[in-house]
Amino acid sequence: MRFQIERRAEPSSFMRFGAPVYATFSTLVVSSIMFALLGHNPADTLFAFFITPLMTINGISEWLLKASPLILIGCGLAIGFRANVWNIGAEGQLVIGAVCASGVGLFYPAPESTLLLPLMVIAGMAGGMVWAAIPAFLRARMNTNEILVTLMMTYIATLLLSLLVHGPWRDPDGYNYPQTALLPDAAMFELFDPMYRLNTSILITVVAVFAMWFFTERSFFGYKMSVGGAAPLAARYAGFKQSRSIWVGLLISGGLAGIAGMAEAAGPLGQLSAQISPGYGFAAIIVAFIGRLHAVGIVLGGLLLSLLYLGGEAVQLSLGLPSALTSIFQGMLLFFLLASDFLIFYRFTPSPKPTKGGVT
Amino acid sequence: MTNSSRREFLKYSAAAGAALGSTSLSNLAMADEVLKVGAVYVSPVSEIGWTKQHSLGVDAIKAALGNKVEVTTIDSIFKPQDAERVFREMASSGNKLIFGTSFSHGTPMQKVAKRFPDVAFEHCAGIKHTKNLGTFEAKYFEGTYLAGVAAGHVSKSAKIGFIGGFPIPDIVGPANALLLGAQSVNPDMTCSVIFLNSWFDPGKEKEAANTLISQGCDVICSMTDTATGVQVAGQKDVWSIGYASDMSQFGNGKHLTAFTLDWSSVYVNAAKSVATGTWKTSERWQGLSEGVVKMSPLNTDIPAAGKAEVKKAQAAIIAGSLHPFAGEVKDQADKVRAAAGGTLSTSDIRGFNWFVKGMVGKLG
Amino acid sequence: MPSFREIQEELPNVLETNMTPRLELRHICKRYPGVIANDDVSLSIMPGEIHAVLGENGAGKSTLMKIIYGAIRADEGEMVFDGNPIASHGPSVSRALGIEMVYQHFALFESVSVVENIALSVSGKFDLTVLANRVRDVSKKYGLPIDPHRFVYNLSVGERQRVEIVRCLMQKPKLLILDEPTSVLTPQAVIKLFETLRQLAAEGCSILYISHKLDEVQVLCDSATVLRNGLITGTAKPKQSTPIELARMMVGADLPETHLDPSTTSDTPFLNVNHLTAPSDNPFGISLNDVLLSVFGGEVVGIAGVSGNGQAELISFLSGEVLFKGADTITLGGKDVGQLDAGYRREQGLAFVPEERLGRGAVPPHHLSDNAMLTGHRLGMVKNWMIQRGKANDFAAQIIRKFNVKTTGYESAANSLSGGNLQKFIVGREIELGPKVLIISQPTWGVDVGAAAFIRQALIDLSRTGAAVLIISEELDELFEVCDRLYVICQGQLSKSLDRKNTNVEEVGLLMTGLNNNSNSDNSKAV
Repeated sequence: MRFQIERRAEPSSFMRFGAPVYATFSTLVVSSIMFALLGHNPADTLFAFFITPLMTINGISEWLLKASPLILIGCGLAIGFRANVWNIGAEGQLVIGAVCASGVGLFYPAPESTLLLPLMVIAGMAGGMVWAAIPAFLRARMNTNEILVTLMMTYIATLLLSLLVHGPWRDPDGYNYPQTALLPDAAMFELFDPMYRLNTSILITVVAVFAMWFFTERSFFGYKMSVGGAAPLAARYAGFKQSRSIWVGLLISGGLAGIAGMAEAAGPLGQLSAQISPGYGFAAIIVAFIGRLHAVGIVLGGLLLSLLYLGGEAVQLSLGLPSALTSIFQGMLLFFLLASDFLIFYRFTPSPKPTKGGVT
Repeated sequence: MTNSSRREFLKYSAAAGAALGSTSLSNLAMADEVLKVGAVYVSPVSEIGWTKQHSLGVDAIKAALGNKVEVTTIDSIFKPQDAERVFREMASSGNKLIFGTSFSHGTPMQKVAKRFPDVAFEHCAGIKHTKNLGTFEAKYFEGTYLAGVAAGHVSKSAKIGFIGGFPIPDIVGPANALLLGAQSVNPDMTCSVIFLNSWFDPGKEKEAANTLISQGCDVICSMTDTATGVQVAGQKDVWSIGYASDMSQFGNGKHLTAFTLDWSSVYVNAAKSVATGTWKTSERWQGLSEGVVKMSPLNTDIPAAGKAEVKKAQAAIIAGSLHPFAGEVKDQADKVRAAAGGTLSTSDIRGFNWFVKGMVGKLG
Repeated sequence: MPSFREIQEELPNVLETNMTPRLELRHICKRYPGVIANDDVSLSIMPGEIHAVLGENGAGKSTLMKIIYGAIRADEGEMVFDGNPIASHGPSVSRALGIEMVYQHFALFESVSVVENIALSVSGKFDLTVLANRVRDVSKKYGLPIDPHRFVYNLSVGERQRVEIVRCLMQKPKLLILDEPTSVLTPQAVIKLFETLRQLAAEGCSILYISHKLDEVQVLCDSATVLRNGLITGTAKPKQSTPIELARMMVGADLPETHLDPSTTSDTPFLNVNHLTAPSDNPFGISLNDVLLSVFGGEVVGIAGVSGNGQAELISFLSGEVLFKGADTITLGGKDVGQLDAGYRREQGLAFVPEERLGRGAVPPHHLSDNAMLTGHRLGMVKNWMIQRGKANDFAAQIIRKFNVKTTGYESAANSLSGGNLQKFIVGREIELGPKVLIISQPTWGVDVGAAAFIRQALIDLSRTGAAVLIISEELDELFEVCDRLYVICQGQLSKSLDRKNTNVEEVGLLMTGLNNNSNSDNSKAV
């Protein structure tokens, strides 16, 4: 029997909730076959992937620690994406945020001051916003494509970071290795428990998630931006200014990415090095889309992606699976997840039977 | 880093730590218990290169201790954020000896070592050692000096090209020694340097090698985690020097020699001493005489006189009668850094942030 | 409802029954999600017959034609052409059989010449000069004058249609399908088109003529099949039927009537356009030339004209979606608003219903409550930058109730509504804003007859409460039904104001061609 793809008259609400289940199920089936063919017990592997990382307090602390920046950046990006403002350069804004915050942390004249950390948050946010303001200005005034500009700005940001840590900011006692001196204690986020790495910067993420939900679901400006994203002509028809959406979309996402970068420097890293971000700025784009640009979805998406990283390490550690295999598994889950979303709007139906002498 | 107030918190959370089962394990494994060893690699284990040589060290532990040892490895861990998590995970899951194999593992290892005082940490390429964190490093410069002697005998343009991962002392020093070795044959030799700011970026490395060759360099030495430099040199029919592993299979017959790394003695000694409860933190800096640095077979096309001279220098270094950085050593600005008859100090060598005379290029 | 077969028996075929039909459809079915576009449709056309397919927008006419042409595939049923069943169908099969189709929206390339456009549909080698001569011959023979070397972007809509028809005729078709061909033509051009079609039929070409305009079908067609909701509701010989009979088959009920009470107008115009001249900023746009327009409170004013004569440009300037950089040209209630954006003009009492409902008048994936807020947010739905969801829901519910919008509720997405229901919702929203001036473009385009009458009445009622209503429409019947005064737009120029009672379709039709204008503009362009 042949099948054809057909658009649903109305998006299926069953599939809206069923799609993730569908995706998980497909991933489990296909990956089980893959693991079995390669001689690994599928049940053990999946257990190690999804359960082992969360069996200890430390595991949960690590899980949240890694999810936090993804969620924080994802929230900011989603606000822009809803308005068709495509900030692809959160990675660069993150880097600049980390640079500005570390600059304050390293050179503030009173390294013991309790003001230091708040100042760094502000510096990180401002840095990210300034970096995002450049593409915002170019798009709003000269109609340049912000996808390209934000991406290019990412390269500039990483090279700027490289310049600083190889040059003027290099730790004089660091044997020329491209990293700064450690940040003073007052510049670090407090740990919830010294045994675990999770720090208070996650509270910023929590606040951001609520603020993002409020902004997109309750505020009039968020509504205006979503109109601009879904139907630009309708926004112009209603008299909503597109340039404001561009500015707000880019500044919010840039600012949050900047804070995320600052929180890496003032959290798990404790210093600035040439490679500050494990690609959070790019991974957050995936998080935003897995979360369907919705606050709750982004939280779930960030937790999922974070778990995928930890799970990938866990299967290497506990079962000795090669890292390439875990990457395939991670890719497969994301593929099924995004592909299943397709079923919300489309369905497969059997092709009409060709009748004798028929028109088909 | 933790401050004192955070250390006070530690007391209160000791119970939680105990519940986790990480700090309450018996201090050192008994002789009849299985020793758990972990190793964190910076890149996937491939045929050749830095990580491959470390995996050979791990293999040596397995061979030496057999079923008394259980080894866990993880690869592709480079970013400090990820590294700290992995070291914690390894320490808290019962590993008593943990190896870190990249400079970028240093800060995370220092943090984790403090949390797990009864676990032995060994950091390759590390610079700071603490109570339970030892460091070990190879005297690469001894190898590059000998390779330089060989290069001095084959180079027609008197120009060597050097590609480095990062401008850190562990790379700058060997680059300097490479040129000094070559200059011991031909005082007019120069060496051009390009840093990639990455250990693994074949695309950039290929570009760098091509640039150096087009500038007239006819010997290429690349201290990265790939064989790209050797490959490009082979394709362009210029000489190459391998690093970490014997790379002659990639050199198209132009592979002069390689200074290879053999960590097995370090790995086996550490594992044995942890198993017997005699492990102590230490800082090891070993070269040709300890067998950590080895020279792979010399290319048969090197003139006999050259081969003999390399062998002679190798014997002299092992015997202690020759030091690659023996005076007089001048820097790029013609300043004398080590007077004739003297030698650069250990701290000078481990903290190299300058180039010797004849190097073409700049440090950061 | 009488079945198709019963009616067939009642009506003897007008043409000789011993001939093989040119085309026979048997039990064609086509389903789309949520709608059956064609349900068991059967019909047959004889050689030389002009056969109408009548029906309202959305009755399934266009789907049926596309099935015949092979552009889409039927789910069930068969097609027989000249006695031979068509096994596997497609546009290329159609062309080989001699089936040609003139679409409602033309598929021409703007930036190349007429003959080059026609060359694109010629298979195999061709010589452009020879082809140009053939184009000239065919267009002369059928009274469709066209210069093969003109560029398409220079052509009026009527001329473009000629190009499409000439393109079809060059293939010597046996069956020509025309989809709503007169919707873009002036009354005079319609008469010319009919002459051409009759000539073609006399030569033995069968013609399938799709329309929802009864008067045209009665003048032109030998037989008619009427569709409603995808089903055949009857067949008829239009020349022997009354319009009321046909309308009843089409609509399923008697046509509602509109009541136009006498108007009392305000002393000063609510909306005034004073010598608006605006060159087009793109080569395919229309420049506006010295437009003078005023709309007073209490009256309905219409702007007639064939689409693409500057309506879109004028509307954008009026609504504020495009700003006009000139002082005192566009005034709203006496205030110069030319440089103020759409939002500000709405503050001043302007409301606007655009021609494009989805994507401009409404946000397709948003639910009706959000869409009510699009322009209704001014009615206290925003407090401290926060949306007052309850008020937005109430407003949406109120529109749905008052304007008879068929939907499951204010939580339905705009794109789940039918065209007519969405239009009622948008018109309702704009009227409920209590505007001083309402501008509405193509108010009943694609709307079923019942809803159209409802909307027209709502517009009249709004004006009678003292508001100024400006309607831009292609449908002359509609404008004559609801307007107090009329303007005609042609090539970016607006005619003088015409009192409905003192004008007629012929005068307006001439103005639509630009023939009655004093200016010396290129008349051929406007037809």
